[in-house]
Amino acid sequence: MALQDKNTGLFHSQDGAKMNFDVFISKFAKIKLEYTKIGNKYFLADEEMKELSKKLNCNIAAIGLILGEDKKDKFTPSIALLEILSKVSDEKVFVNYIGEIDFLYGKDLKKRHILRFTGGSKEGFFKLIQNEHDENIGYGKISAELTGSKAEIACLLDRGDFIRREKS
Amino acid sequence: MENDFTRRYIKLGARADIFDLPEIIRVNTLKTTPKTLFDRLKEKGFEFEKVPFLENGYKVIRARHALSALQEYLHGYFYMQEAASQLPAQILNPCKDDIVLDACAAPGSKTTQLAVKSKYVVALESQHNRMPSLVNNVERLGIKNVIACNTDARIFEPSIKFDKILVDAPCSGNYISDTQWFRRQSVNNFKQRAEIQKEILSNIVSHLSDNGELVYSTCSLEPEENEMIIDWAITDLRMKIVDIDCIGDKGLTSPFGEKLHKDVEKSRRLWPYKTKTQGFFIAKMVLK
Repeated sequence: MALQDKNTGLFHSQDGAKMNFDVFISKFAKIKLEYTKIGNKYFLADEEMKELSKKLNCNIAAIGLILGEDKKDKFTPSIALLEILSKVSDEKVFVNYIGEIDFLYGKDLKKRHILRFTGGSKEGFFKLIQNEHDENIGYGKISAELTGSKAEIACLLDRGDFIRREKS
Repeated sequence: MENDFTRRYIKLGARADIFDLPEIIRVNTLKTTPKTLFDRLKEKGFEFEKVPFLENGYKVIRARHALSALQEYLHGYFYMQEAASQLPAQILNPCKDDIVLDACAAPGSKTTQLAVKSKYVVALESQHNRMPSLVNNVERLGIKNVIACNTDARIFEPSIKFDKILVDAPCSGNYISDTQWFRRQSVNNFKQRAEIQKEILSNIVSHLSDNGELVYSTCSLEPEENEMIIDWAITDLRMKIVDIDCIGDKGLTSPFGEKLHKDVEKSRRLWPYKTKTQGFFIAKMVLK
């Protein structure tokens, strides 16, 4: 069952809850994003763009901003979606330069990397990871409570993924 | 070094000096400004110099490590794009109301460049395995107005017309961007490419609006893929070539003794030894 944070009203644990698009968004902000779905992928596109796409009479692979995709029935966000959420969410952890570099290589964050955080701190909470410039570099899941001496965040997706995709 | 190709270039009044291309970036003004970006990168040991003939192109004059390893690259603040390759979109020069077609789009360098100034860009790519690079670059640069289609430009049949079209046609490439180019190429290959280029153009011009503009470009130096295509577009497709403000030599009007339409000289060919870019060819045309 999803765990609701008393202060923010956001849902943090995915135990028993299917991780779909709306559930994912609800972990970070109380906003509604209208998406367009192509296959298993989600996109943010305005109405005029959608109308234009109907006149192309061809195989559309992407329209507007990609928000993520369903992988094995579980929603996986895009970096672009994390960037949108980071503009409206309080569920953030700010990391130092070394933490940023490590995270961009897909490594987990340790206590020494964390400058500060906003929002929830409990194990199992999802957090947007921000660098010193408040730029989103990915997201992770708290694996050891942030207020504790062994605070730790598991890397779930980092912006270094762009490079890995180029090489694959 | 002399070979069949360099002898062809000599016949065209040029030469084939080999040199390393400078590293050039295009600043993504959707996400940052040159000043903000370069202030940040200066602290990391990088310095840049404006390329005079480019709107947002900068030459790397000092680099501590690979540009793609920079966080600013991952944030989509810049795109690594060779100087000549930035010219076609700049010459097409779409405005904020324009619906633009990029007929041969992957990996998306020109698509993302066009998207900054256009209302929407429809990006076609025929090869399924090249789609991820296009989609990834659109995402990395935070572009919101691109529709990417896995479609061959030769059979694309939309029910709308486009204000601006870029045909950066698949071509044989050039010896500056590909060190193995002389070994890999043949004149027969240029002719095969030319047939594909004609097929693309003949279909795509039918989707240009009455007052629309089309830019044709290749990164080839071979007249078969360039001036001869433009000559064919003038005569067979009834296109009109217009003057462009661009570096490079005038298009050749009598390559290898062939007599081409005089307006072909309004196109531009970029000989690497003169422009210090890769080899390139650009022409702009409108419907007659």
